[in-house]
Amino acid sequence: MNNLLAKGITTINLTREFKNKGLTIKALDNINIEIPKGVVASLVGPNGAGKTTLIKILSTLMLPTRGTAYINGYDIIKDVKNIRSSIGLATGGESTFYFRLTGYENLVFFASLYGLSLREAKSRSKELLDLVGLSNFANYPYMKYSLGMQRRLSLARALINDPPILLLDEPTLGVDPISAREFRRLIKTISSKKTILLTSHYMGEVEELSDIIFLIKDGKIILNGTSQELKYKLGKIVEAIVPVDQVSENISRFVVGIRANRAYLRVPKTLINLIDGNSEIIGESEPTLEDVYAAIIGSSPIDKGNRVKPMRMGRWQA
Amino acid sequence: MASLSSFISRIYSFVYLRGFKIWISYKTQVVLNVLSWVLPVFTYYFVGTSLGQRFISSINTPNYTAFVVIGLAFQGYVSSVITTISGRMRNEQLFGTIEYYMLSPTGVFGMLFYSAAWGFVLNTINAIVIILVGMGLGVSFINANILGAFIIIIELLISTLGLSMMAGGIVMITKQGNPISFFFSTITTLLSGTVFPVSVLPKYIKLLSYAIPLTPALNGLRLALLDGASLSQLSYYFIVLLIFDILLLPLGAYIYKIGFDIARKDGTLSEY
Repeated sequence: MNNLLAKGITTINLTREFKNKGLTIKALDNINIEIPKGVVASLVGPNGAGKTTLIKILSTLMLPTRGTAYINGYDIIKDVKNIRSSIGLATGGESTFYFRLTGYENLVFFASLYGLSLREAKSRSKELLDLVGLSNFANYPYMKYSLGMQRRLSLARALINDPPILLLDEPTLGVDPISAREFRRLIKTISSKKTILLTSHYMGEVEELSDIIFLIKDGKIILNGTSQELKYKLGKIVEAIVPVDQVSENISRFVVGIRANRAYLRVPKTLINLIDGNSEIIGESEPTLEDVYAAIIGSSPIDKGNRVKPMRMGRWQA
Repeated sequence: MASLSSFISRIYSFVYLRGFKIWISYKTQVVLNVLSWVLPVFTYYFVGTSLGQRFISSINTPNYTAFVVIGLAFQGYVSSVITTISGRMRNEQLFGTIEYYMLSPTGVFGMLFYSAAWGFVLNTINAIVIILVGMGLGVSFINANILGAFIIIIELLISTLGLSMMAGGIVMITKQGNPISFFFSTITTLLSGTVFPVSVLPKYIKLLSYAIPLTPALNGLRLALLDGASLSQLSYYFIVLLIFDILLLPLGAYIYKIGFDIARKDGTLSEY
C-alpha cells in the first residue's frame, strides 16, 4: 500500500450509513481516496454529498459503518490517540470559540488542552496570532471578530500542536473575497510542510490551492485528478445562447447568466446534442473547474429534494 | 514536572479563563448568583424563628440556623456541580467546542475533571459566603474540626464527580432533559437533610435519602464544623462516603464513556 502513501491520507472502502425512521441513508459509499504526504487535496460536491461526514470520520469524531482510513500511517479506528495528535481541524462554524474571551485567551485555552505549560501556551498563541495576522486584534473579544477573523483564528487553533495533517471544512464559508484571498495565502504558506484536505464550494479557491481534487456526489467519489486533468477529461466548452423558455431541466446546470430573456450557457462539447436547433452558438473556449463541476455534479440532490441531508452536526456545513 | 506545568496551565484555563472570566463578564448574573446563595439563608432563618424553639427541638435540631447554614453551604457541592457540568457539556455542544476537547489530549474526561474544578471553586465561594452570613446570624464555628470537614468534602466531591459523569454521559445521548441533574438540583433539598433532618421523613423516603451521598456528608459536616467531632467520631462518615466513592466513580466513568461512544457511533457528538 505504498507505506500508506508515505503517511498521507488513505481511505479504504469507507462507508457511513445513517438510519432514520427505518430508512438507511448512505452518507458515504465505499470511499477510496489517496492523498500523498505534503499534498493539498480538495473535496468538492453539493450540500449533503458527504464532505463533512468524511472529515468527521477522518478526524475520529464519528465512526464509519464499514471500511477504514489511515492518516499519517495510523488507523482511524484502532489508533485514535495517534490520529488525534496527527491532525488539526478547522471547521466553518462561527461559534466554536468562547465569545466573551479574547482571541488570544481562546488560543491560550485551547493550547492548554494540548498539555502546553502556561508559558508555552501563551507564547504559542502569540506566535499563531502573528502567523494568521491577528496580532493587532489579539485582545479583542471573539464576539467582535468578523467572519474572516474567526476563520483565521480557527486555522490558528488547528495549528496549535503543529500537526502534519490539516482537515479544513469549508474554511472560507461566508468570508468576503479579500479575507478569503488572505486565507488562501495563509494556506499556501503552511501547505509546504503539511498534508491538507479541505472542502469548499468555491472553485477558484479549490483550483488555486489544490494539487488534487475529488468530486463527491451522493456519498461517492465520482471523479478525481488535478485541475488540469479534470478539465482535460471534460474537453472543450461550447458557449451558446438559448431563449429562457427553452432551457430544459437537463441543460439548466450549464446556464451561467440570463439577460433579456436569453440564457447564456457553457456546455461541454461532448454534450452539445442536449441543445436544440434554436440555440445560437457564439464560440468555443477552454473549460474552467466550474464547468467541470456543473457537468459532473450538476445541481444539488438536496436542492432537488431527492436526497435526505444527514442531521446537521454542530455548526458544521454539510 | 511537565505534567505539573500542564496541570497548572489547564487549571488556569478552565478555572480562570473559561470559568471566572466568563462568569464575571455577566455582571447581572453575578449579582443574582450571590443573592441566590444568600437569600435562602435568611428565608430559613425566619422559618426557624417563626416555627418556634419547641418545634425546632422536636426535630432534634437545637440550633436550626446552624443546621440550615451547613446544609445550604454544602448542598451546592453536589447539586450545583452536577448541574454545572451537565449544563457545561450542553453548552460545549451548542458552541461546537466539544469536538475540540475530544481531539485534544485533555479529552472528554479531562474536560469533565477541569470543569468540575471550576464548579468546586464557585461553590467554595458560595459556601464561604453562606458561612459568613451564618456567622453574622450567630452561628459559631469556634470548635470546628477543619481537617475532618476537609476529608468529608473531598470524599463528597469524588462521589459528586461520579454522579457528574453519569449526568454528562446521559446528556450526550438525551441532549436535553437530564434525570440525574433534575434529581440532584430539585430533590436533594428535600431528601438529603439540607434544611431539615431526614429523621422527620417517612420511613420509605428516609431509606431513599440514605442512598444520596450528600445525606451522610451533611451529617458529618455538621458534627465536624458545629460540634467539633474528632476524626474517630467522624470515621463512620468517612467510611460511608468512601463506599459511595468506590461505587459511583467507576460507574460514572463507565456511563460517561458509553455516552460518548454512542454519540460517536451514531454521529451525534455535536448535535444538540
